Amino acid sequence: MGLFGTSAWAAMAGTLELPFVNGRRDRVTNFPQKGAMLLQRTRPPLLETPFEVFDNGVFTPNDRFYVRWHLANIPTEVDPATFRLNIRGHVGRPIQLTLDELVRDFKPFEIAAVNQCSGNSRGFFSPRVPGGEWANGAMGNALWTGVRLKDVLDRAGVKAGALQVRFNGLDTGVVPQTPDFMKSLDIDHARDGEVMIAYAMNGALLPLLNGFPLRLVVPGWYATYWVKMLNDIEVLDKPDDNFWTTKAYLIPDTPFANIVPGQKDVKMVPINRMLPRSFFTNVQDGAVLRLGQTTIVRGIAFGGDTALAKVLFSADSGRHWKEARLGADHGKYSFRQWEVPLRLSSSGPHKWMIKAVNSAGSAQPDHANWNGAGFMRNVIESVSVQAA
Amino acid sequence: MNTSLRNVVLISAVPVLLGIVLAAGLTWPRTVNSEPTAKEAAKGPIQKWTKVSVDLPVSQVSFPPGNGSVIANAYCLICHSAGMVLRQPPLTQDEWTVEINKMRNAFGAPLPADQVEALAKYLRSINGQSTKGPSAVDGQAS
Repeated sequence: MGLFGTSAWAAMAGTLELPFVNGRRDRVTNFPQKGAMLLQRTRPPLLETPFEVFDNGVFTPNDRFYVRWHLANIPTEVDPATFRLNIRGHVGRPIQLTLDELVRDFKPFEIAAVNQCSGNSRGFFSPRVPGGEWANGAMGNALWTGVRLKDVLDRAGVKAGALQVRFNGLDTGVVPQTPDFMKSLDIDHARDGEVMIAYAMNGALLPLLNGFPLRLVVPGWYATYWVKMLNDIEVLDKPDDNFWTTKAYLIPDTPFANIVPGQKDVKMVPINRMLPRSFFTNVQDGAVLRLGQTTIVRGIAFGGDTALAKVLFSADSGRHWKEARLGADHGKYSFRQWEVPLRLSSSGPHKWMIKAVNSAGSAQPDHANWNGAGFMRNVIESVSVQAA
Repeated sequence: MNTSLRNVVLISAVPVLLGIVLAAGLTWPRTVNSEPTAKEAAKGPIQKWTKVSVDLPVSQVSFPPGNGSVIANAYCLICHSAGMVLRQPPLTQDEWTVEINKMRNAFGAPLPADQVEALAKYLRSINGQSTKGPSAVDGQAS
């Protein structure tokens, strides 16, 4: 694999230069329950998954799964004996569930789903925008096990007139003026039978930094809704007016949330469904391959809020496209591997491109979408390679 | 991993693209796959809940010396470590002002109003640029 540069990337001990200004990142191993991660911020932690991890398979190991917290008061100890999940608000009977009750009293539900930060790939925005300066590693795919949110809401009995459901976790801000991090979903979405409360990922309990003991899973939607350390579910009979719902995580109400820099008077709406994306995982930009040697180019893709329909590969800067072979299908919200066998018979350079198309017909755009918050990047990815 | 892909024979309808030949009859190494099997998942992951207690690393990084670093160290570090600031793209003084006021107004940073300008100048001096086109900073929290 050395030809492709992934091992060279992996071998860079200590630091890594992400390909944008101020992109130097330390590879750190000192976060609990985590292997080597790219450090963006220590407190509250922002840890990026090193991209070579995505070449190892479609499920992102728990100890390499990216980490993103907003508020710095994160409990460092959670005792399952005393932990309770509250379901309250506009319900017939408020309930408090122990973890054992949640596991024992509800039918288990399982789904493979990509969790992707709204601002994944923000560092590639041009012009640059402030925020979490991620490369492409603020995402991961896991098999989530838990219970349907619908089943838990039904236990409490949602009353007529319910509009939204608000989710809160154990984390809080350092100063009392900081708005507590909460997110809401419309009642019908919350009860769609897919939104779930996960107590496990990839067959193990969640790492604390990924939300132990419980995390909301909202398949197909950006990770801002996947509230970690979830302990409070409140059914609302009026629209949620909390800061994080009304003032933060807003996108232009335009296709791909795309506007031009400086554009004003755009209607803003809460971020919601994910867009399709695809990535090369075993070849990096600038790689030198051996002339005449056959090799497999491969990567991962996902459809966003619906199934992946196809992945298209171009070896000539997008003039011609060919369908890549797809790997095992783990469900419509999961990463899926793609691959294309190739032999380079001229030295190049060659510009390779990869494009995902989902079952709703949405394809990755040729030109990068842009907005001031740095959300939802999903432009076609490309790499330049040479043969020698 | 899908074993049907292990020894795929890809007969291509596009034989030659600018010097690239699709190969047939391939065998290639597969990387280790970490995915859980259906069997493991069906077994159920929860055998026993146990208390989890961890230590989170503490950042030792402070802001580099300069006019205003005292303000940055006193106020910014209340809520987040310095790395978040140092790893931002270079911003103009006006853009830093927008960011600082977001911290004050949206998140309640107790930075006095009369220190905003000094802090923005300092941040511009350690991670800034002078001018550019339309500002990309919209001041939204995320």
